[in-house]
Amino acid sequence: MPKKSALTTPVAITAMSSLSVCGLGNQALYQSLIKHETELAPLELFNVPFKNYVGEIKTPLISIKQALNDYASRNSQVALTALNCPEGKVREQLEAAKIKYGTQRIGIIIGTSTSGLYETESAYASLLQHDKMPQDFDFVKQHAYQATARFLQLELGLQGICFAISTACSSGAKAIAAGQKLINNDLCDAVLVGGVDTLCRLTLRGFNSLELVSDKPCRPMDKDRNGISIGEAAGLLLLEKCHANNESNLKILAVGESSDAYHMSTPHPKGEGAQLAMQNALHAAGLKSSDIDYLNLHATATKINDQVESTAVETVFSDSVACSGTKGITGHTLGAAGALETIIASLSLQQQFISGTVGLQETNSDCHCQVIKTPQFNQPLTIAMSNSFGFGGNNASVIIGL
Amino acid sequence: MIHNSLFIKSFALCCSDTELLSAFNLLSHEVDKTLLPAAMRRRTSLSTKMAITAATLACEQAKVETKSLPSVFASLGGEIQVTDALCRLLPDDNELLSPTQFHNSVHNTTAGYWSILNQCQAPTTAIAAADDTFAMGLIEAWSQLQQSEQTEQLLVCYDEIWPQYLAAPIGKIPFACALVLSTQAEGSIANISLPKLSESVNKDRLNPEWVNLAASAPAANVIPLLMALHTKSNHPIPLNSGIPTWITALL
Repeated sequence: MPKKSALTTPVAITAMSSLSVCGLGNQALYQSLIKHETELAPLELFNVPFKNYVGEIKTPLISIKQALNDYASRNSQVALTALNCPEGKVREQLEAAKIKYGTQRIGIIIGTSTSGLYETESAYASLLQHDKMPQDFDFVKQHAYQATARFLQLELGLQGICFAISTACSSGAKAIAAGQKLINNDLCDAVLVGGVDTLCRLTLRGFNSLELVSDKPCRPMDKDRNGISIGEAAGLLLLEKCHANNESNLKILAVGESSDAYHMSTPHPKGEGAQLAMQNALHAAGLKSSDIDYLNLHATATKINDQVESTAVETVFSDSVACSGTKGITGHTLGAAGALETIIASLSLQQQFISGTVGLQETNSDCHCQVIKTPQFNQPLTIAMSNSFGFGGNNASVIIGL
Repeated sequence: MIHNSLFIKSFALCCSDTELLSAFNLLSHEVDKTLLPAAMRRRTSLSTKMAITAATLACEQAKVETKSLPSVFASLGGEIQVTDALCRLLPDDNELLSPTQFHNSVHNTTAGYWSILNQCQAPTTAIAAADDTFAMGLIEAWSQLQQSEQTEQLLVCYDEIWPQYLAAPIGKIPFACALVLSTQAEGSIANISLPKLSESVNKDRLNPEWVNLAASAPAANVIPLLMALHTKSNHPIPLNSGIPTWITALL
């Protein structure tokens, strides 16, 4: 797979796990993708004063052990539940990696936009009422952006590099980028990367204030789309140096990153930043656009985002790449989306399958992308790309290879 | 090509407490609001203004082209005041949030405004790592630089004033520092070794004034490195004041 002209050395994905509205584990995620129905439903976790559909995790979450109780948050619990999922083998492979490489040589980089904000919101209710924070509130360990990464580090008994990336909706993809670089620079032998984000009032009401929340399950790329459905998820991937023992594993080939330099919450009208991220990824991997067999779109289902992304995709790929958006199934999992959708693209390669775009009936007349509506099986796929674009004009495109 | 050392081309500090910093022999600058166009000035927090002031000064000193410069923004709390203001509205279901405040609450707000201000489409990232925020920022910047076709990289470490009910004394003192890092020796002021974990840092021997300041201003973890640039000391330089300790050294 490594091309002669590649600037970036691929890294192996030696384990991956996910938790979302689709359930726990990659098999549950895959079943939702082939079932081709929305998993979105009205929010139950807390009240918001408007109609909504969300991708809320209903899977029972594992409790944080007593010794790490200071770190207890829904976000850390979602991460722990995904980590411990036996099917994903992330924890099993990490324990093996500790013996192989030592605890200081395994890094953790978690992308998140919410971190433990859900708990902080409850603490503020108490602050406003009683003029002080609750006794058990610990801002740095529960809410500050690195809280979940640090919790995982302590839970796993690791000692090396550990931080959070928080670049809004590109966070999960940027964590993968940073992990690949740490390995290629020999700063780590293995890195646990991913994205973890959980539902909270601030994001729901914030996106609503921008008039970007749909009152129905979102409809990515559809001409009648009217906004996003927010979701929550953990997507975890264990990255390791490529060697003979993991030759048959999927690989992260490269991640392309860019900035729009245009506006804090509106994408560049011609999709310059999105184009640049995809082109940078192709360049770093030493690939041509025609080498990409499947593109998982960012496709959030806002009017402007999907229009700009289709313009950018057409500029980079013409109409030659099969693409689809999966947020009609999972919701937009924000800081976790880049990791969750890299896992979806990985499942596509493993299963030789292209997910459909739930919610899409008809694209805009000016959209010339090959947007796949219904699941396609027995597809000869070798290389896939996953797009993530966030507030602040922060963009990342991940390329995965079989 | 992987390098085991990194060059520092320039640094600049933004902290309103200039007396405090003169104790460390460091020159500090006030926030320069005129760096931002009026609309951006109104919308941005102290956090973003401090970070942009430090970054602009460091880039001017290093004479680097900001339009193509990749950047790492490292902060524990980021837009903490914006987040605080929004959190205060949430207990009431009927309170409407400001859309501008909401998109300005993300951790990469400063990174976003910096890229807009400089029309820079190069990658930018926003990270956090509690006490290790500066150490991890330096590692991430170093790591990006090695894998990039660019030879320069901006690292900005900053935290503004925090409400003291969140995590006192963190955020008592607003402090921002920007460094321009390079793979090239030309025009550099120092060469440092790759940060690593140290088994042997004795917490009792750390400068107590610095440890105190770093407890109130997470970004002030950069100070021992800046002081070493003056003294040219070849002792290990701590990059955080906690245990375990990340260290580097002048080469």
